[in-house]
Amino acid sequence: MGYLDGFAVTFRKWFGTRSDTGRRITVQYPEETRPKPPRFHGRHVLNRYEDGMEKCIGCELCAGVCPARCIYVRGADNDPEDPRSPGERYGFVYEINYLRCIHCDLCVEACPTEAITETKLFEFAFTNRSDAIYTKSELLVGDDGRPQQLPWEHWGDGFDPAEDTSGWMRATAPSGDASFEGVVAWSGELGYGVRSPEGGQTLEQETDDDHDDGHHDDHHGAGH
Amino acid sequence: MSERPRPIEVTDPVTITVDGRQVEVQRGELLIDACERNDAYIPRFCYHPRMEPVGMCRMCLVEVDTGRGPALQPSCMIPTAPDMVVETTSERVTKAQDGVLEFLLANHPLDCPVCDKGGECPLQDQTMAYGPGESRWVEEKRHYEKPIEISPLVLLDRERCILCDRCTRFASEVTDDPLIHFINRGSNTEVNTFPGDPFSSYFSGNTVQICPVGALTATPYRFRARPWDLERTESTCTVCSVGCRVTLESSRDRMLRINGVDADPVNWSWLCDAGRFAFEATNSEDRLTEPLRRGADGSLEPVRWSEALAAVADALGSADPSSVAVLGGSRSTDESAYAWAALAKGVVGTDHVDAQLGDGLPAAVFDLPGATIDEVCRPGGTVLYVGPDPKEELPVLFLRLKHAAQRDRVRIVEVTPTSTSLTPYSAAGVRPRPGELAAVAEALVAGDAPADGVAGVSADDLRAAAAVLGAADGPVTVVLGRANLAESPQVVLDAAAALSALPGVRFLPAVRRGNVRGAVTAGMAPGRLPGGGRLDGDAGWSGVWSTVPTEVGADAMGILAAAADGAISTLVLLGADPLRDAPDRALAERALDRVGTIVAIDSFPTPSVLRADVVLPAAMLGEVDGSTTNLEGRVSRVRPKVTPPGTARADWAVAVELARRLGATWSATSVEALRDELVAGSPRLAGTTWAELEAADDGVLVDLTGGGFDPGTPAPVPQVDSYSLRLVLSRELYDEGELLGRSESMAGLSRTPTVGISVGDAERLGVEDGTPLVVRGERGSSTLPARVSAGIPRGTAHLVHRLEGSDPITLLSADEVACDVRVELA
Ligand code: SF4
Ligand code: SF4
Ligand code: SF4
Ligand code: SF4
Ligand code: FES
Repeated sequence: MGYLDGFAVTFRKWFGTRSDTGRRITVQYPEETRPKPPRFHGRHVLNRYEDGMEKCIGCELCAGVCPARCIYVRGADNDPEDPRSPGERYGFVYEINYLRCIHCDLCVEACPTEAITETKLFEFAFTNRSDAIYTKSELLVGDDGRPQQLPWEHWGDGFDPAEDTSGWMRATAPSGDASFEGVVAWSGELGYGVRSPEGGQTLEQETDDDHDDGHHDDHHGAGH
Repeated sequence: MSERPRPIEVTDPVTITVDGRQVEVQRGELLIDACERNDAYIPRFCYHPRMEPVGMCRMCLVEVDTGRGPALQPSCMIPTAPDMVVETTSERVTKAQDGVLEFLLANHPLDCPVCDKGGECPLQDQTMAYGPGESRWVEEKRHYEKPIEISPLVLLDRERCILCDRCTRFASEVTDDPLIHFINRGSNTEVNTFPGDPFSSYFSGNTVQICPVGALTATPYRFRARPWDLERTESTCTVCSVGCRVTLESSRDRMLRINGVDADPVNWSWLCDAGRFAFEATNSEDRLTEPLRRGADGSLEPVRWSEALAAVADALGSADPSSVAVLGGSRSTDESAYAWAALAKGVVGTDHVDAQLGDGLPAAVFDLPGATIDEVCRPGGTVLYVGPDPKEELPVLFLRLKHAAQRDRVRIVEVTPTSTSLTPYSAAGVRPRPGELAAVAEALVAGDAPADGVAGVSADDLRAAAAVLGAADGPVTVVLGRANLAESPQVVLDAAAALSALPGVRFLPAVRRGNVRGAVTAGMAPGRLPGGGRLDGDAGWSGVWSTVPTEVGADAMGILAAAADGAISTLVLLGADPLRDAPDRALAERALDRVGTIVAIDSFPTPSVLRADVVLPAAMLGEVDGSTTNLEGRVSRVRPKVTPPGTARADWAVAVELARRLGATWSATSVEALRDELVAGSPRLAGTTWAELEAADDGVLVDLTGGGFDPGTPAPVPQVDSYSLRLVLSRELYDEGELLGRSESMAGLSRTPTVGISVGDAERLGVEDGTPLVVRGERGSSTLPARVSAGIPRGTAHLVHRLEGSDPITLLSADEVACDVRVELA
């Protein structure tokens, strides 16, 4: 039948969107939204600890690893009387340029303190370049642990922690603590907390399944 | 690690086996170096090629077999010997390296993300390359307060320290500031200072550079960037005239750090803290960023470059050439100095050009046969040191001289007005009365002295010093500088003339400012043409330039005197501040009052700049391209790393543009072309063309044969007034000058001013340390606390130039050979 095969696909899909699997695929966006996949990568937030301290220590590892070179970080000395973050150093400047970010999450993976994570917020449209560069004050979560809504962001029905927090899962042992080696953990986000491992990602599978790429490189250096 | 292996000449070869290969190495050199040179790099932490090995860290263990079977030995402690068999990668070696690293990391904190060293850390790198990959340590680590300030510039984090002994060895062995030590025992061993006695060394920044971990961090760089942000270029420090090789490191067009490069003939990787940290001034808010011109209401208003340049060209072009003068240029590059010499002498036609401000040495010192630093420090040699305290003015030269005296059997005879940092390392020393240096030099050459001594120096001291010179093995070298701003520089020339009688003598002119030698060689001195030629003997420059001055001009003090008489209508200040630095404040004031048009090309609004009619903003170190000549005559490249602020330009670009506006046809309009034009016309600069400099990492020496040294008319010997003390006005490294005063971390480090007097004079006056004293001269007086010192001879008062809260240069007058002051109880 030659080219008519192609039309068959079109017609099938046309009806399919309504009846194929019994669910509709096209929704009336933006009034209606579809649930986001668990590992969806949206815009970043800079997290805080429960006591309000910033997690970012200004180490620039995220900026160093970013393949799109879109993060600019500078550290500074914490004022011992009024520290911003635990320890000596805090992130003094933090900027992400969303005209360049490819949402690869390598920055999240590199961060030693789980300071930078990605939400699933993705609906933002700017009218100028400087709005596209999110500064530290824009990225930092509020005292309640929720991201701040910026004027050009569309949040639908508001921020739903279950729906909009990070789908990121840490592949390396947290804090270099040997007893966590191989333990799967979601990043802790204020306002949402941590999640339990997804199915199929138990400790046993982690250690004896070597094809599970990226999840086995924490056998080194986990304790020094 | 980043240290270059020390260059070695294989004169006594022995054959050893390294990892199965037969290689030829120098007998007795350290195995760790021999292996590195033969492509078998051995990891190390404590070994540093410029310090004595101590075998502290055991990272360099290798298997060495000297006939009694292989055994693990630290390769940094083993001299090579014939037929050694060395294994650097065997299983036993790898196991030993694993063990050493596991132990080093046992108590090491996981600070990498917040540690300044992270990313360029030998401990990180070697753990990755040679480490066990995994730690078995689960116990709590050792904890200390972190970080602690061991000096205003250096912070210490004891948790990160791996006790390699590099910083402590540096402090006691390389410098003489043994202020940091290991304290406590066992796993509680830590580096620390004695309470209340900070590590205030002029060289403290070096410990930050050599620390193999991030235990020592420098406040100016702390947390400013990570190593992977930094862009680097190799350049030369121009803060003083030693000309240490450095890397300029910047990020986002801002200079952030300077590190030393191991240039074997010069700085051996060391830097002084002024050279290391004064770059902060380039980031200063005070920088001049746009041209200024004095408006109708008498204030300086920003104008466009074209307007400012037109005004300058007009002031230069309309004046009678003999009423135009240029002061300064010793902080510029060779090319800028040449461009200004060519503009002043070859376009405008004036010879009133002086790179210094009467506070340096006359250009004639460069006509003396020259010696390099290496020649001065030749093992077993004898050095006559006539000059300022080297630690205060030429810090890294001090390190070289100290090393030479302590380790290379160099005998130093010190001829200085007070004791210096070199005194403990000198074989003999005499303290001539200011103004009478030449008589002492003559006595030293003659080897004998009248029974009642010469110039305040006893006959015994003179004979002892002369005996050291007499016992010299080979010709004596003289370090010749100006120790005392209150003494006429003619005195130094007279002494040089006397010392020239020593057989085979050669001189190292210890000038202070970064590029005095380069500026003078480029023609920025009265009576001189580029390349060292004389005006009267025109070395062919009339063929290159459109004009050559016919009359020999005045030097800086002469220019100021002429200006005060109203004979100068246009005065160009090329990074010069006569109001602060000329050794006659009253004269400088009168001169600037009477000059018609003052043009200042500078980076900062100095007092003299604020008096100018046109101000042009200048690019400074780290922003200009070109070359510089150090005190030995070594020409090396300075490279730009960051863009100058605002519209500031390099000095040479201003000169070239002014020449064009004055109608000159001058083809050299780039640094390269200026350099090559300068070299083409100067036989003594042969070998220093742009291409040749680019190819030479450690610089190229100019011809040092010298010739035609003319000391001029000897200075009269000043009368001794027994009611007065004779003034010694010297400089200190940390002053409130343009650079350090504007560097955030360095400002405020200068000492509180004092008046130094001898123990005898203190007894006579009945004063002790701290008693307020009035120092009264003909031109003014100041009240300062007394400092009683055994290093100051009787009859001498010692003051320091440019410290906060004292301005002793106001006491001086240009026409006096020495300055007498009355010192009384306040
Ligand atoms: S998600 Fe990827 S591209 Fe975006 S900032 Fe992070 S590392 Fe850079
Ligand atoms: S977000 Fe994380 S990786 Fe980036 S600078 Fe802050 S602490 Fe470092
Ligand atoms: S502070 Fe650094 S240089 Fe000094 S002993 Fe410790 S590790 Fe070595
Ligand atoms: S000794 Fe002189 S040239 Fe060397 S770093 Fe210090 S100021 Fe610079
Ligand atoms: S490098 Fe040899 S013991 Fe440290």
